[in-house]
Amino acid sequence: MFDLRFFEIYRNGEYMWRLAEGVWLSISLTVTAAIIGFIAAALIAVARMNRVPVLSQIAVSYVEFIRNTPLIVQLFFVAFGLPLLLGYKWPFWGHALLGLTLNFSAYFAEILRSGLMAIPRGQIEAATALELKQRIRFTKVVFPQVIANVYPSLTSQFIFLFLTTGVISEIGVEDLTHAGVFIDSRTFRSFEVFITLTGLYVAIALTFKGCMHAIDRRCFAWKGRQ
Amino acid sequence: MSDALIFLFGKPMGIVVFQLLGATRFTIYLSLIAFVSGGVIGAAITLARISGVKAWMRFATAYIWWFQSVPLLMLLFLSGLGVPRLLGHDVDPWVSATVSLTLYASAYLAEVWRGAIHAVPRGQWEGGYSVGMRFLPVLRAIILPPAVRVALAPTVGFSVQIIKGTSLAYIIGFHDLMNLVRRWANAPVDGTEPFIIFPLMALIYFGLCFPLSRLAIYLEHRLGT
Repeated sequence: MFDLRFFEIYRNGEYMWRLAEGVWLSISLTVTAAIIGFIAAALIAVARMNRVPVLSQIAVSYVEFIRNTPLIVQLFFVAFGLPLLLGYKWPFWGHALLGLTLNFSAYFAEILRSGLMAIPRGQIEAATALELKQRIRFTKVVFPQVIANVYPSLTSQFIFLFLTTGVISEIGVEDLTHAGVFIDSRTFRSFEVFITLTGLYVAIALTFKGCMHAIDRRCFAWKGRQ
Repeated sequence: MSDALIFLFGKPMGIVVFQLLGATRFTIYLSLIAFVSGGVIGAAITLARISGVKAWMRFATAYIWWFQSVPLLMLLFLSGLGVPRLLGHDVDPWVSATVSLTLYASAYLAEVWRGAIHAVPRGQWEGGYSVGMRFLPVLRAIILPPAVRVALAPTVGFSVQIIKGTSLAYIIGFHDLMNLVRRWANAPVDGTEPFIIFPLMALIYFGLCFPLSRLAIYLEHRLGT
Protein backbone atom coordinates (compact mmCIF):
# COMPACT_ATOMS: atom_id res chain seq x y z
CA MET A 1 0.00 0.00 0.00
CA PHE A 2 2.57 2.52 1.11
CA ASP A 3 5.91 2.69 -0.54
CA LEU A 4 8.36 2.33 2.33
CA ARG A 5 12.03 2.50 1.45
CA PHE A 6 14.09 2.07 4.58
CA PHE A 7 16.91 0.68 2.47
CA GLU A 8 17.55 4.15 1.06
CA ILE A 9 18.84 5.01 4.51
CA TYR A 10 20.66 1.92 5.63
CA ARG A 11 22.33 1.12 2.31
CA ASN A 12 23.98 4.52 2.22
CA GLY A 13 27.29 4.63 4.06
CA GLU A 14 27.32 8.38 4.55
CA TYR A 15 23.88 8.40 6.14
CA MET A 16 24.73 5.54 8.47
CA TRP A 17 27.94 7.30 9.45
CA ARG A 18 26.04 10.52 10.20
CA LEU A 19 23.52 8.62 12.31
CA ALA A 20 26.32 6.93 14.25
CA GLU A 21 28.03 10.28 14.88
CA GLY A 22 24.69 11.75 15.88
CA VAL A 23 24.07 8.97 18.39
CA TRP A 24 27.53 9.49 19.84
CA LEU A 25 27.15 13.26 20.14
CA SER A 26 23.67 13.04 21.62
CA ILE A 27 24.78 10.53 24.24
CA SER A 28 28.06 12.21 25.14
CA LEU A 29 26.57 15.71 25.42
CA THR A 30 23.64 14.48 27.51
CA VAL A 31 25.80 12.47 29.88
CA THR A 32 28.36 15.26 30.30
CA ALA A 33 25.63 17.82 30.91
CA ALA A 34 23.98 15.48 33.41
CA ILE A 35 27.21 14.98 35.38
CA ILE A 36 28.11 18.69 35.54
CA GLY A 37 24.46 19.52 36.13
CA PHE A 38 24.30 17.08 39.01
CA ILE A 39 27.30 18.68 40.73
CA ALA A 40 25.79 22.14 40.24
CA ALA A 41 22.45 20.82 41.51
CA ALA A 42 24.06 19.49 44.68
CA LEU A 43 25.56 22.93 45.37
CA ILE A 44 22.22 24.63 44.68
CA ALA A 45 20.35 22.22 46.94
CA VAL A 46 22.85 22.67 49.77
CA ALA A 47 22.67 26.46 49.44
CA ARG A 48 18.90 26.27 49.68
CA MET A 49 18.87 23.87 52.63
CA ASN A 50 21.38 25.89 54.67
CA ARG A 51 19.44 29.07 53.88
CA VAL A 52 22.54 30.93 52.77
CA PRO A 53 21.24 34.51 52.48
CA VAL A 54 20.91 35.97 48.95
CA LEU A 55 22.39 32.81 47.42
CA SER A 56 19.43 30.69 48.39
CA GLN A 57 16.95 33.24 46.99
CA ILE A 58 18.89 33.29 43.73
CA ALA A 59 18.86 29.49 43.74
CA VAL A 60 15.09 29.35 44.20
CA SER A 61 14.43 31.83 41.38
CA TYR A 62 16.89 30.05 39.11
CA VAL A 63 15.31 26.63 39.67
CA GLU A 64 11.77 27.95 39.22
CA PHE A 65 12.65 29.96 36.15
CA ILE A 66 14.37 27.07 34.38
CA ARG A 67 11.65 24.59 35.29
CA ASN A 68 8.89 26.86 34.01
CA THR A 69 10.34 27.80 30.62
CA PRO A 70 10.87 25.55 27.59
CA LEU A 71 14.33 24.10 27.04
CA ILE A 72 14.43 25.44 23.50
CA VAL A 73 13.99 29.03 24.68
CA GLN A 74 16.86 28.58 27.11
CA LEU A 75 19.01 27.09 24.36
CA PHE A 76 18.28 29.94 21.96
CA PHE A 77 19.19 32.46 24.62
CA VAL A 78 22.41 30.64 25.48
CA ALA A 79 23.37 30.10 21.82
CA PHE A 80 22.35 33.40 20.23
CA GLY A 81 21.70 35.87 23.04
CA LEU A 82 24.59 35.42 25.46
CA PRO A 83 27.45 35.34 22.91
CA LEU A 84 26.17 38.56 21.34
CA LEU A 85 25.77 40.20 24.74
CA LEU A 86 29.13 39.16 26.17
CA GLY A 87 31.01 38.91 22.91
CA TYR A 88 32.40 35.39 22.97
CA LYS A 89 32.46 32.73 20.28
CA TRP A 90 32.06 29.06 21.10
CA PRO A 91 31.52 26.01 18.94
CA PHE A 92 27.88 24.89 18.71
CA TRP A 93 28.33 21.97 21.06
CA GLY A 94 29.67 24.37 23.72
CA HIS A 95 26.42 26.31 23.70
CA ALA A 96 24.44 23.08 23.79
CA LEU A 97 26.48 21.78 26.71
CA LEU A 98 26.00 25.00 28.67
CA GLY A 99 22.28 25.11 27.90
CA LEU A 100 21.66 21.48 28.77
CA THR A 101 23.72 21.77 31.96
CA LEU A 102 21.70 24.77 33.12
CA ASN A 103 18.50 22.90 32.34
CA PHE A 104 19.49 19.61 33.99
CA SER A 105 20.87 21.29 37.12
CA ALA A 106 17.53 22.95 37.92
CA TYR A 107 15.56 19.71 37.64
CA PHE A 108 18.14 17.74 39.61
CA ALA A 109 18.33 20.45 42.28
CA GLU A 110 14.61 20.19 42.87
CA ILE A 111 14.84 16.40 43.28
CA LEU A 112 17.85 16.67 45.60
CA ARG A 113 16.09 19.29 47.72
CA SER A 114 13.09 17.04 48.27
CA GLY A 115 15.53 14.23 49.12
CA LEU A 116 17.32 16.42 51.65
CA MET A 117 14.04 17.42 53.26
CA ALA A 118 13.08 13.76 53.63
CA ILE A 119 16.11 12.93 55.82
CA PRO A 120 14.84 12.58 59.40
CA ARG A 121 16.25 15.28 61.70
CA GLY A 122 17.20 12.55 64.17
CA GLN A 123 19.91 11.37 61.78
CA ILE A 124 21.62 14.75 61.82
CA GLU A 125 21.13 15.09 65.58
CA ALA A 126 22.61 11.64 66.15
CA ALA A 127 25.62 12.54 64.01
CA THR A 128 26.01 15.79 65.95
CA ALA A 129 25.78 13.88 69.22
CA LEU A 130 28.63 11.67 68.02
CA GLU A 131 30.62 14.89 67.55
CA LEU A 132 31.07 14.34 63.83
CA LYS A 133 32.29 17.42 62.04
CA GLN A 134 29.81 19.17 59.79
CA ARG A 135 31.62 18.06 56.65
CA ILE A 136 31.68 14.40 57.74
CA ARG A 137 28.08 14.68 58.89
CA PHE A 138 27.12 15.73 55.41
CA THR A 139 29.33 13.48 53.28
CA LYS A 140 29.01 10.30 55.35
CA VAL A 141 25.55 10.49 56.90
CA VAL A 142 23.22 12.74 54.94
CA PHE A 143 24.41 12.62 51.35
CA PRO A 144 24.60 8.84 50.79
CA GLN A 145 21.04 8.46 52.04
CA VAL A 146 19.78 11.32 49.90
CA ILE A 147 21.36 9.86 46.77
CA ALA A 148 20.02 6.39 47.48
CA ASN A 149 16.53 7.78 48.12
CA VAL A 150 16.28 10.01 45.08
CA TYR A 151 18.15 7.75 42.66
CA PRO A 152 14.98 6.42 41.00
CA SER A 153 13.59 9.94 40.46
CA LEU A 154 16.96 11.12 39.18
CA THR A 155 17.02 8.23 36.72
CA SER A 156 13.57 8.84 35.30
CA GLN A 157 14.17 12.60 35.16
CA PHE A 158 17.42 11.98 33.30
CA ILE A 159 15.69 9.75 30.73
CA PHE A 160 12.89 12.29 30.35
CA LEU A 161 15.43 15.08 29.82
CA PHE A 162 17.41 12.96 27.37
CA LEU A 163 14.27 12.64 25.24
CA THR A 164 14.04 16.44 25.03
CA THR A 165 17.66 16.96 23.93
CA GLY A 166 16.79 16.62 20.23
CA VAL A 167 16.20 20.37 20.20
CA ILE A 168 19.95 21.05 20.37
CA SER A 169 19.90 20.31 16.63
CA GLU A 170 18.04 23.63 16.32
CA ILE A 171 21.12 25.53 17.47
CA GLY A 172 23.31 23.75 14.96
CA VAL A 173 24.66 20.82 16.94
CA GLU A 174 25.03 17.73 14.75
CA ASP A 175 23.22 15.41 17.09
CA LEU A 176 20.96 12.50 16.23
CA THR A 177 18.01 14.71 15.26
CA HIS A 178 20.30 16.83 13.10
CA ALA A 179 21.49 13.71 11.27
CA GLY A 180 17.86 12.76 10.66
CA VAL A 181 16.94 16.18 9.33
CA PHE A 182 19.97 16.04 7.02
CA ILE A 183 19.07 12.61 5.63
CA ASP A 184 15.47 13.76 5.25
CA SER A 185 16.57 16.78 3.25
CA ARG A 186 18.53 14.51 0.88
CA THR A 187 16.14 11.59 0.45
CA PHE A 188 12.71 13.11 1.15
CA ARG A 189 11.92 9.84 2.91
CA SER A 190 10.65 11.67 6.00
CA PHE A 191 8.53 8.88 7.40
CA GLU A 192 11.23 6.23 7.21
CA VAL A 193 13.90 8.61 8.50
CA PHE A 194 11.96 9.73 11.55
CA ILE A 195 10.74 6.21 12.34
CA THR A 196 14.39 5.15 12.33
CA LEU A 197 15.28 8.10 14.54
CA THR A 198 12.44 7.32 16.93
CA GLY A 199 13.65 3.74 17.20
CA LEU A 200 17.19 4.94 17.93
CA TYR A 201 16.01 7.36 20.63
CA VAL A 202 13.92 4.66 22.29
CA ALA A 203 16.83 2.22 22.10
CA ILE A 204 19.23 4.72 23.69
CA ALA A 205 16.69 5.53 26.41
CA LEU A 206 16.30 1.82 27.16
CA THR A 207 20.08 1.38 27.26
CA PHE A 208 20.35 4.29 29.71
CA LYS A 209 17.62 2.72 31.81
CA GLY A 210 19.46 -0.60 31.86
CA CYS A 211 22.75 1.06 32.89
CA MET A 212 21.05 3.07 35.62
CA HIS A 213 19.38 -0.06 36.93
CA ALA A 214 22.70 -1.91 37.02
CA ILE A 215 24.29 1.00 38.93
CA ASP A 216 21.33 1.00 41.31
CA ARG A 217 21.75 -2.68 42.13
CA ARG A 218 25.51 -2.37 42.53
CA CYS A 219 25.73 0.83 44.55
CA PHE A 220 22.54 0.95 46.54
CA ALA A 221 22.06 -2.71 47.43
CA TRP A 222 22.36 -1.72 51.13
CA LYS A 223 19.15 0.23 50.74
CA GLY A 224 17.24 -3.01 50.15
CA ARG A 225 15.11 -1.56 47.40
CA GLN A 226 13.59 -4.00 44.92
CA MET B 1 -4.18 47.72 23.04
CA SER B 2 -1.48 48.28 20.44
CA ASP B 3 -1.44 52.05 21.08
CA ALA B 4 -1.30 51.60 24.83
CA LEU B 5 1.71 49.30 24.55
CA ILE B 6 3.51 51.65 22.17
CA PHE B 7 2.85 54.46 24.64
CA LEU B 8 4.22 52.33 27.50
CA PHE B 9 7.30 50.83 25.85
CA GLY B 10 8.13 53.22 23.01
CA LYS B 11 8.13 52.63 19.27
CA PRO B 12 9.82 49.33 18.40
CA MET B 13 9.34 47.70 21.80
CA GLY B 14 5.60 48.37 22.06
CA ILE B 15 4.93 46.74 18.70
CA VAL B 16 7.11 43.77 19.62
CA VAL B 17 5.32 43.25 22.93
CA PHE B 18 1.95 43.58 21.17
CA GLN B 19 2.91 40.93 18.60
CA LEU B 20 4.31 38.66 21.30
CA LEU B 21 1.10 38.79 23.28
CA GLY B 22 -0.85 38.18 20.08
CA ALA B 23 1.19 35.09 19.28
CA THR B 24 0.87 33.84 22.86
CA ARG B 25 -2.81 33.34 22.00
CA PHE B 26 -1.93 30.45 19.69
CA THR B 27 0.33 28.88 22.29
CA ILE B 28 -2.56 28.97 24.75
CA TYR B 29 -5.08 27.59 22.22
CA LEU B 30 -2.79 24.76 21.22
CA SER B 31 -2.08 23.90 24.88
CA LEU B 32 -5.78 23.87 25.72
CA ILE B 33 -6.71 21.72 22.73
CA ALA B 34 -3.86 19.31 23.46
CA PHE B 35 -4.76 19.14 27.15
CA VAL B 36 -8.44 18.45 26.52
CA SER B 37 -8.01 15.93 23.71
CA GLY B 38 -5.06 14.35 25.51
CA GLY B 39 -7.27 14.10 28.59
CA VAL B 40 -10.11 12.41 26.68
CA ILE B 41 -7.82 9.85 25.04
CA GLY B 42 -5.85 9.48 28.26
CA ALA B 43 -9.09 8.68 30.09
CA ALA B 44 -9.96 6.05 27.50
CA ILE B 45 -6.49 4.51 27.83
CA THR B 46 -6.80 4.56 31.63
CA LEU B 47 -10.15 2.76 31.36
CA ALA B 48 -8.60 0.16 29.07
CA ARG B 49 -5.68 -0.22 31.47
CA ILE B 50 -7.91 -0.98 34.48
CA SER B 51 -10.67 -2.78 32.55
CA GLY B 52 -9.51 -6.26 33.50
CA VAL B 53 -9.77 -7.39 29.86
CA LYS B 54 -6.34 -8.82 29.02
CA ALA B 55 -6.06 -7.59 25.42
CA TRP B 56 -7.10 -4.04 26.30
CA MET B 57 -4.75 -3.91 29.27
CA ARG B 58 -1.85 -5.03 27.09
CA PHE B 59 -2.71 -2.44 24.48
CA ALA B 60 -2.97 0.32 27.11
CA THR B 61 0.32 -0.67 28.74
CA ALA B 62 2.08 -0.71 25.36
CA TYR B 63 0.52 2.63 24.38
CA ILE B 64 1.60 4.32 27.60
CA TRP B 65 5.08 2.85 27.42
CA TRP B 66 5.60 3.74 23.77
CA PHE B 67 4.42 7.34 23.87
CA GLN B 68 6.32 8.01 27.07
CA SER B 69 9.50 6.69 25.46
CA VAL B 70 9.22 8.54 22.15
CA PRO B 71 10.55 12.13 22.13
CA LEU B 72 7.87 14.74 21.47
CA LEU B 73 10.14 16.17 18.78
CA MET B 74 10.00 12.87 16.88
CA LEU B 75 6.20 12.77 17.14
CA LEU B 76 6.12 16.25 15.65
CA PHE B 77 8.50 15.33 12.83
CA LEU B 78 6.54 12.17 12.09
CA SER B 79 3.13 13.80 12.06
CA GLY B 80 4.29 17.03 10.43
CA LEU B 81 6.70 15.68 7.81
CA GLY B 82 6.64 11.90 7.81
CA VAL B 83 2.97 11.12 7.50
CA PRO B 84 2.23 13.89 4.95
CA ARG B 85 5.04 12.60 2.71
CA LEU B 86 3.83 9.04 3.15
CA LEU B 87 0.26 9.94 2.26
CA GLY B 88 1.36 12.29 -0.46
CA HIS B 89 -0.61 15.34 0.59
CA ASP B 90 -0.22 18.20 3.03
CA VAL B 91 -1.42 18.16 6.58
CA ASP B 92 -2.21 21.43 8.32
CA PRO B 93 0.35 22.32 11.03
CA TRP B 94 -2.55 22.73 13.47
CA VAL B 95 -3.54 19.11 12.89
CA SER B 96 0.00 17.76 13.16
CA ALA B 97 0.77 19.76 16.29
CA THR B 98 -2.52 18.76 17.90
CA VAL B 99 -2.08 15.08 17.07
CA SER B 100 1.50 14.97 18.41
CA LEU B 101 0.74 16.82 21.61
CA THR B 102 -2.40 14.75 22.14
CA LEU B 103 -0.53 11.46 21.85
CA TYR B 104 2.19 12.80 24.14
CA ALA B 105 -0.23 14.16 26.74
CA SER B 106 -2.56 11.17 26.68
CA ALA B 107 0.23 8.71 27.57
CA TYR B 108 1.46 10.78 30.53
CA LEU B 109 -2.03 11.58 31.80
CA ALA B 110 -3.08 7.92 31.50
CA GLU B 111 -0.04 6.93 33.55
CA VAL B 112 -0.82 9.51 36.24
CA TRP B 113 -4.47 8.51 36.42
CA ARG B 114 -3.73 4.80 36.42
CA GLY B 115 -1.41 5.38 39.39
CA ALA B 116 -4.11 7.37 41.19
CA ILE B 117 -6.72 4.66 40.65
CA HIS B 118 -4.31 1.94 41.75
CA ALA B 119 -3.63 3.96 44.92
CA VAL B 120 -7.21 3.21 46.02
CA PRO B 121 -7.13 -0.01 48.07
CA ARG B 122 -8.41 -3.15 46.26
CA GLY B 123 -10.90 -3.75 49.05
CA GLN B 124 -12.88 -0.74 47.84
CA TRP B 125 -13.50 -2.45 44.50
CA GLU B 126 -14.40 -5.72 46.18
CA GLY B 127 -16.74 -3.92 48.56
CA GLY B 128 -18.54 -2.34 45.62
CA TYR B 129 -18.86 -5.62 43.74
CA SER B 130 -20.06 -7.43 46.84
CA VAL B 131 -23.11 -5.19 47.13
CA GLY B 132 -23.96 -6.05 43.52
CA MET B 133 -22.61 -2.99 41.70
CA ARG B 134 -21.08 -3.26 38.26
CA PHE B 135 -17.71 -2.02 37.01
CA LEU B 136 -18.67 1.51 35.93
CA PRO B 137 -20.88 2.36 38.94
CA VAL B 138 -18.15 1.15 41.32
CA LEU B 139 -15.60 3.23 39.44
CA ARG B 140 -17.77 6.33 39.44
CA ALA B 141 -19.23 6.23 42.94
CA ILE B 142 -16.45 4.62 44.99
CA ILE B 143 -13.08 4.68 43.24
CA LEU B 144 -13.01 8.01 41.42
CA PRO B 145 -13.67 10.42 44.33
CA PRO B 146 -10.49 9.50 46.24
CA ALA B 147 -8.54 8.90 43.01
CA VAL B 148 -9.33 12.38 41.70
CA ARG B 149 -7.92 13.90 44.88
CA VAL B 150 -4.66 12.05 44.29
CA ALA B 151 -4.53 12.79 40.56
CA LEU B 152 -5.42 16.48 40.56
CA ALA B 153 -2.02 17.92 41.55
CA PRO B 154 0.10 15.89 39.07
CA THR B 155 -2.45 16.55 36.32
CA VAL B 156 -2.16 20.31 36.81
CA GLY B 157 1.61 19.87 37.02
CA PHE B 158 1.65 18.07 33.70
CA SER B 159 -0.18 20.92 31.98
CA VAL B 160 3.09 22.85 32.44
CA GLN B 161 4.85 20.17 30.37
CA ILE B 162 2.24 20.60 27.64
CA ILE B 163 2.70 24.38 27.49
CA LYS B 164 6.46 23.92 27.31
CA GLY B 165 5.95 21.21 24.70
CA THR B 166 4.01 23.54 22.40
CA SER B 167 7.19 25.58 21.96
CA LEU B 168 8.46 22.82 19.66
CA ALA B 169 5.52 23.08 17.27
CA TYR B 170 7.21 25.86 15.30
CA ILE B 171 9.49 23.18 13.84
CA ILE B 172 6.65 21.94 11.64
CA GLY B 173 5.63 25.46 10.70
CA PHE B 174 3.11 26.15 13.43
CA HIS B 175 2.76 29.88 13.91
CA ASP B 176 3.18 30.54 17.62
CA LEU B 177 5.25 32.60 20.02
CA MET B 178 8.44 30.72 19.18
CA ASN B 179 8.05 31.19 15.44
CA LEU B 180 7.47 34.93 15.78
CA VAL B 181 10.36 35.49 18.16
CA ARG B 182 12.78 33.64 15.92
CA ARG B 183 11.88 35.97 13.08
CA TRP B 184 12.48 39.02 15.26
CA ALA B 185 15.77 37.62 16.48
CA ASN B 186 16.98 36.79 12.99
CA ALA B 187 16.36 40.33 11.73
CA PRO B 188 16.81 42.42 14.86
CA VAL B 189 15.92 46.07 15.16
CA ASP B 190 16.78 48.01 18.31
CA GLY B 191 15.29 46.15 21.23
CA THR B 192 14.71 42.82 19.53
CA GLU B 193 18.28 41.53 19.74
CA PRO B 194 18.43 37.86 20.70
CA PHE B 195 19.55 38.68 24.26
CA ILE B 196 16.47 40.82 24.83
CA ILE B 197 13.74 39.04 22.94
CA PHE B 198 14.50 35.50 24.09
CA PRO B 199 14.36 36.40 27.79
CA LEU B 200 11.18 38.34 27.01
CA MET B 201 9.67 35.23 25.48
CA ALA B 202 10.93 33.16 28.40
CA LEU B 203 9.07 35.58 30.69
CA ILE B 204 5.83 34.99 28.80
CA TYR B 205 6.21 31.21 29.07
CA PHE B 206 7.11 31.67 32.73
CA GLY B 207 3.99 33.75 33.24
CA LEU B 208 1.91 30.92 31.80
CA CYS B 209 3.66 28.04 33.57
CA PHE B 210 4.59 29.38 36.98
CA PRO B 211 1.01 29.93 38.26
CA LEU B 212 0.15 26.39 37.20
CA SER B 213 3.22 24.99 38.97
CA ARG B 214 2.25 26.88 42.11
CA LEU B 215 -1.32 25.64 41.81
CA ALA B 216 -0.05 22.07 41.55
CA ILE B 217 2.04 22.47 44.71
CA TYR B 218 -0.89 24.11 46.51
CA LEU B 219 -3.23 21.27 45.52
CA GLU B 220 -0.68 18.71 46.64
CA HIS B 221 -0.52 20.27 50.12
CA ARG B 222 -4.22 20.91 50.26
CA LEU B 223 -5.43 17.49 49.18
CA GLY B 224 -2.56 15.74 50.91
CA THR B 225 -1.17 12.63 49.23
